Amino acid sequence: MPDISLKSMTALGSDDALSETFGAITISERPEVAIASLAARSDAPDPISVFGLSLPGPGEMVSGDGITIVWSAPRQWMILGEGRGEQDFASDVKAAAQDCSITEQTDGFVCIDLVSNSGAQPLQDLLMRLVNLDPARLAPGCATRTLLEHMSVFLIRYSERRVAILSMRSSAQSLWHALSTAAGFAAHRAEVRA
Amino acid sequence: MSRLPGGLIDRGRTHSFTFDGKAYHGHPGDTLASALLANDVRLMGRSFKYHRPRGVFTSGSEEPNALVELGTGARREPNTRATVAEIYDGLVANSQNRFPSLSFDLMGVNDLFAPFFAAGFYYKTFMWPASFWEKVYEPIIRRAAGLGSLSMDADPDAYDKGFLHCDILVIGAGPAGLAAALTAARAGAQVILADEDFRLGGRLLSETHRLDDAPAQNWIESLEAEFDGLPKLRVMRRTTVFGAYDHGVYGAVERVADHLPDAGTGVRQTLWRITAKRTVLAAGAHERHIPFANNDRPGIMLAGAMRAYANRWAVSAADKIAVFTNNDDGHRTAIDLAAKGVEVAAVVDTRSWAKSRGDYPFYPGATVSNARGRTGLVSIDINYAGGTERLECGALGVSGGWNANVHLASHHRARPVWREDILSFVPSGHGGPPGLSAAGAATGRATTHAALNDGARVAAVALSDLGIDALLPDLPKAEDEPATSQPYWHVPGKGRAWVDFQNDVTVKDIELAHKENMRPVEHLKRWTTLGMATDQGKTANVTALAIMASLTGKPIAKTGTTIFRPPYTGVSISVLGGGDSGQNFRPRRLTPTHVWAAENGAEFVEAGQWLRAQYYRQPGETDARTSVDREAAAVRSGVGICDVTTLGKIDVQGADAGAFLDRLYCNAMASLPVGKVRYGLMLREDGFAYDDGTCARLGEDHYVVTTTTANAGLVYRNMEFSRQCLWPNLDLQLISTTDAWAQIAVAGPESRTLLSRVVDGVDLSNQAFGFMACRELTVCGGLRARLFRVSFSGELAYEIAVPSRYGNALMTQLMEVGADLGVTPYGTEALGVLRIEKGHAAGPEINGQTTAQMLGLGGMVSRKKDAIGSVMSRREGLVGDKRKLVGFVPVDRQKRIVAGSHLFSLGARHATETDEGWITSACHSPALDSFIALGFLENGSQRLGEVIVAANPLEGSQVSVRVASPHFVDPEGARQRA
Amino acid sequence: MLIPHPLLGPRDAEEFTYMGDASLIARPSASDPGAEQAFSDYVYLRDNPAGVHRELWFHEAGDRSWIVVTRNTLTHEILDAQLARDVALASAAEAGE
Repeated sequence: MPDISLKSMTALGSDDALSETFGAITISERPEVAIASLAARSDAPDPISVFGLSLPGPGEMVSGDGITIVWSAPRQWMILGEGRGEQDFASDVKAAAQDCSITEQTDGFVCIDLVSNSGAQPLQDLLMRLVNLDPARLAPGCATRTLLEHMSVFLIRYSERRVAILSMRSSAQSLWHALSTAAGFAAHRAEVRA
Repeated sequence: MSRLPGGLIDRGRTHSFTFDGKAYHGHPGDTLASALLANDVRLMGRSFKYHRPRGVFTSGSEEPNALVELGTGARREPNTRATVAEIYDGLVANSQNRFPSLSFDLMGVNDLFAPFFAAGFYYKTFMWPASFWEKVYEPIIRRAAGLGSLSMDADPDAYDKGFLHCDILVIGAGPAGLAAALTAARAGAQVILADEDFRLGGRLLSETHRLDDAPAQNWIESLEAEFDGLPKLRVMRRTTVFGAYDHGVYGAVERVADHLPDAGTGVRQTLWRITAKRTVLAAGAHERHIPFANNDRPGIMLAGAMRAYANRWAVSAADKIAVFTNNDDGHRTAIDLAAKGVEVAAVVDTRSWAKSRGDYPFYPGATVSNARGRTGLVSIDINYAGGTERLECGALGVSGGWNANVHLASHHRARPVWREDILSFVPSGHGGPPGLSAAGAATGRATTHAALNDGARVAAVALSDLGIDALLPDLPKAEDEPATSQPYWHVPGKGRAWVDFQNDVTVKDIELAHKENMRPVEHLKRWTTLGMATDQGKTANVTALAIMASLTGKPIAKTGTTIFRPPYTGVSISVLGGGDSGQNFRPRRLTPTHVWAAENGAEFVEAGQWLRAQYYRQPGETDARTSVDREAAAVRSGVGICDVTTLGKIDVQGADAGAFLDRLYCNAMASLPVGKVRYGLMLREDGFAYDDGTCARLGEDHYVVTTTTANAGLVYRNMEFSRQCLWPNLDLQLISTTDAWAQIAVAGPESRTLLSRVVDGVDLSNQAFGFMACRELTVCGGLRARLFRVSFSGELAYEIAVPSRYGNALMTQLMEVGADLGVTPYGTEALGVLRIEKGHAAGPEINGQTTAQMLGLGGMVSRKKDAIGSVMSRREGLVGDKRKLVGFVPVDRQKRIVAGSHLFSLGARHATETDEGWITSACHSPALDSFIALGFLENGSQRLGEVIVAANPLEGSQVSVRVASPHFVDPEGARQRA
Repeated sequence: MLIPHPLLGPRDAEEFTYMGDASLIARPSASDPGAEQAFSDYVYLRDNPAGVHRELWFHEAGDRSWIVVTRNTLTHEILDAQLARDVALASAAEAGE
């Protein structure tokens, strides 16, 4: 391991990852997630598998052993590695997928998790304030890129209670503002209803 | 006036509110209109043009008269309908469009000048002199005629938005809508039921109809209980679906907290965008009236509204009422009010064959011909075969029949069709919003029985379209009395008979429009202002066009309606804005060194979405130029560092990456050796210069391309277009990596020394890492990085890239280890000065109007290959352009040159014909201690040394400037190669 | 408006950037005689029919696919949507035959 004399900073501009709870929803920055994009070369075999996972189809994601793979475009995927944000993840992916074009994306994006402590409904109530997607296309196992407050974001639905949002790192503060504002309003609404 | 028995109000609780400063009481369930009526307030507003006293006319969102201002201070909202405003404790309401008070309005004098304000008065009266319109006439008209006023303060409330998707959207929760929603929800479909009211039930709430021989409320309550247990049904009260947009998209506003004293930490309103596979429009019907002389007296209202106030809100506008009708439905008002103990003075029916249905004076074949009582109805004149009779009454219910509410079905320019049998326009069933079907009274099936069954049937058809089987629910037995009506459109006679109350349009105005040949309905609308403003003529339009039809002798069916457009009712700009304003109005992008910059005195500037450090103000520096000059000078003499992350970075990989870039850039890229960077120029396909940047070859099949900050997104889009649409057979992979790498320019003669203190064991000597070299390496103890030896300033310079999370720390580190070198952070302003001094083109030069040749880069356009724009760049018109990029120095070196100035020969007239070019960029150069500029000049490169004029006629200034080489500093380029 | 993305289903038109006439896919060859005229037509001449139109949309906020959408410009009815790359490959294959 190299002994880097520089201290990293999160996309939200602090030393530690930010986390905030609004009602049933907790929003957390995930700087420990590493990201690399993978694009198949013309002569790449089909199907391709990386780290033992078959690359998913349009609108889908697969996950296992700390690796998540998201379809991002025709013949292009985003590979996420849990707990590897400080590593040269792109090189690891390159080693696992020699036939593909790999691009380091760890700091291209800010990764924010939305987790519900009370089933799917609070997450559903929040997501419908954020993105114009039919919930059926955002079920567990789905992943897609869409607009959120004029920002292009990936939504990765890990489970009923958890979705990860990836947005351009430079827009992290705008994304946090959008998520926390909507989560605050949704929590207020749920409180009034209850 | 005391309350009548019954009603859907909570008498156990009381709300206090004020109207025009006076305190009143009402109950939960009341609207402002019902509560005011319960307090004997009949006068609620003043009309738009004539300031006529007006009372409430309807009991719903179609209200033309009772427009009020709600709230105080910054929360004041004008033009709110009292008929749909729920009261809450502490509500403050005020009347509007009156001075000094509602009961005594000085502007009422307008009424005396009524002939002056007749149809088309805008166009006729204020024609001459033309200059008077803006300065004199318009301000006077605006002051005299108008609606409420804005607070002019920022809206303090919060708003948000959301997106909903469903199989079936049901608009309206009356009998048809409830039956439709029930059918669809029981079938397991994803259903949204939206209604603008705060209670479900629609017209059932206002009638005494029984369902299965029980109060309708019982059925509604049982449905509500069932709805609560259906998770796929979303019931949205207080939600107005205001527009039908393409492909099943609907706009809706939910009034989340308008009925509460305070929204708390929540939102006031939510804008919903609903995507529905199918839509059932169950919007019911609107009653119309019958114009007669002075029919706008407060106390005269629609018969259905009078009945609604009595049945739902337990109020009557007067102790003694009368009804004027041309149909059976009007009789219900008399029956219901009589049953509640209100004295019915008369029922006047235009139909001679009509029969009395209650124990009250009945006038068949009669009309109401006049009304008295300036601020409240006192008496009416009844005309019948035997003569005229004056009858005292405090309120009159008028029914001219019902218009199906075809509004949303008529979006997308659909034309409703006239049905003579029911005297109503109904949706034609084609041309409207795809997937939308009307049900119940909205399509003329208006009895309770018909509405219930039609709602279920239409929902079942929509479900079957979606492949969902639905069972028709058991619906309660309900009244099924066919409405019989006589086509009777207005009572002829002297005196003004109002058709459109909100816009003060009378029968005479329509007759005048007819005489003046403004006969088509769209002309009628513009000429008279009929159907404009907040109510869009919901109670007026059909009556008006029927009157026009009778004047032209054309049938109503051929007369047609005006075009229906969203919104159905008014929508506040705040909610359309979706909530965020100020710095959150759009996304902001921050550079990886933003935190460091903010801590070190940076003034920031917006560059598209980015915030960039413009310059770093040091203690004692009072003006920007001092800071910028210091920063630029530090780069020339020592070393400066600047965050250049915002430049677009695109990763290009694949076996054909070089071939692809050869087609993208006008100059060659495939020949670039690995480990080298080349400047590249892209053209547009029309041959003009498009964007420039550098292209670094990191590997045999791996390039990193940079774009300008402004064009990062556009260039990427065009690269994807080229890859997917033009050359789909190439082996090529593209992805943006702009945000992944923090890129810092390190520029100045000491830059090598500074960088060598952070890179890990790499020889940076000129021999080992020369001008335009690039490589991957590590810095600061093993952090992966990329180093490019490129120069925008003309000095020995590098750009170093590290993963963005380390950008801030690298900036700090460079400042620390370079302290002895005097390392100076510089911002975009100094960056600009340095590149102007060096004569490098940037956005102002590559602005879409200039060519490679004009930029002095004509030699870069390769003739050996085809690239985007290369063919068109050779066309005669572009090749023949003699303007060239040159530099300019003012004759008086301390005189500022303004970018945008136009260039003229000395002594030439300053006109388009003599225009010889323009200044693109200008700044003060600390290196030359002079103002300098770049610009395009006719035959510029042959005119070095000539003195010409840079004129800025916008400011009335001009400067004598000497033409110079654009390369003010180090024209040989020795420094950057050092 | 909703654009029926061939891979992702109906998506809000806000996610897309519009570029117009799909004939832009057919870029002339620079080496043909009369290339300048062909490019002039390619760059400046566009059909703008009141009715059925084949046009290019870029899924900018999504998967970055260019899509050829066949749309009735009078009613906004969308009759077809295909990946532009597939359209380009098909026409390249046809030209190659």
